[in-house]
Amino acid sequence: MDESGVFQVNIVTPDGQVYSQQSRRLVARATDGDLGILANHLPIIATLQIAEVRSLCAENENREDAIAVNGGYLEFKDNVATIIADSAELSRDIDLRRARYAKERAEKRIEKAKQTHDVDDRRRGEVALARAINRIRVSEHH
Amino acid sequence: MAESLMDIKRRIASTKKTGQITHAMQMVSGAKLTQIEKQSNVYQLYEQKLKETMGHLVASKIISQYRDNNTESSNDSMSLDHLLKNRPIKKTAYIVVTSDRGLVGSYNSTIIKATMDLLRKNHQNDKSKFSIIAVGGTGADFFKKRNYDVAYEYRGVEDVPQFKTIQKLVKTCVEMFDTGVFDQLYICHNHHVNSLTSTFTVDKLLPISRDIADEVDFKKIGNTSSYIVDPSIEVVLQKLVPQYIESVVFGSILDAKTAEHAASMTAMRTATDNADDLISSLSLKYNRARQEQITTEITEIIGGASALE
Repeated sequence: MDESGVFQVNIVTPDGQVYSQQSRRLVARATDGDLGILANHLPIIATLQIAEVRSLCAENENREDAIAVNGGYLEFKDNVATIIADSAELSRDIDLRRARYAKERAEKRIEKAKQTHDVDDRRRGEVALARAINRIRVSEHH
Repeated sequence: MAESLMDIKRRIASTKKTGQITHAMQMVSGAKLTQIEKQSNVYQLYEQKLKETMGHLVASKIISQYRDNNTESSNDSMSLDHLLKNRPIKKTAYIVVTSDRGLVGSYNSTIIKATMDLLRKNHQNDKSKFSIIAVGGTGADFFKKRNYDVAYEYRGVEDVPQFKTIQKLVKTCVEMFDTGVFDQLYICHNHHVNSLTSTFTVDKLLPISRDIADEVDFKKIGNTSSYIVDPSIEVVLQKLVPQYIESVVFGSILDAKTAEHAASMTAMRTATDNADDLISSLSLKYNRARQEQITTEITEIIGGASALE
């Protein structure tokens, strides 16, 4: 049992490790609600929504990192939390202008899909929109 | 003297040009290789983590429990049962990763030859027992020409493959597996060892077996039966399994592409070296011929002069 209350957080995407820090508290949005993880949590596997993941920095209690995660899942075991997703971006790396542009594009796509009754395309547009909104929100937090 | 001086000169010039081209191609392949190596290094981490989780799940018997509980379930619980369950094997599919273009040395022939050996060994070349999913033009053309059952072909993999472009291929494969086009899926590709060597490897993709648990170090995991799975095993597996298959296919293609760039680089380097050798031997020939001509001329002049005396 680790008494320090600190655990490792890794966020891994196909483009490499986005985030790797010691953390005191990790908050992620699982499929049916927010999931808070502290050190010595029981082993868990949970699927995540397209949402923000927050990690309280171990060295500096005032710093909380926010990461925009596009789905994926979280695994916690032996005081190592691993989030594996298609893509993830740290709040400070998010290009707000590009995210806004992506949002506009997704909205247009949905609008177009609605007119042509293309269900697949509409769903794709909705996912893209959720990602863009998520990125904008995460980036505005900080 | 078989060739005239002009002929040799022309041959030297053309070989030099070819050498320049192959040298340029070598440089291009080299640049692509460094690029893709960088990507596959970071990607390996992702794949490894995903494999670990799958291994944990298999090792902690969650999957087998799930399998046991659902033996009589109907098909509406999605394709998941299918992906995990072993069913009688009527047909096996092989994803064969080759290159789209030539000039890669023995890269394609190695894969095709090894695949053919595998087919002969597993199916005695009975064409009704297997089908081919060809990634890359060379393989597609080869198998089609020999009247093999090519279930799907995918051309135009980018030089540095993107995760998104592979998703379509994976989706098609999983769909075909679901609908029973085949009952087993393997992927054959060249594994990149270093820039000079690559080895042929075959991985089993579907159905997902206990094999992946073998790769996990059990001592490191310890007691794994106590995972909390949120919200439910079905939902987690429904997300994890496709992600896992995608990642393995993408990893294999990335690996194959790396090997392709390496093979292309080596082949072009050999070509350049050969061109250099050819040029030096031709230059020697040219100089000799020139010398011979000069000697003949001198002899003629001396002969003419002495005739005048």
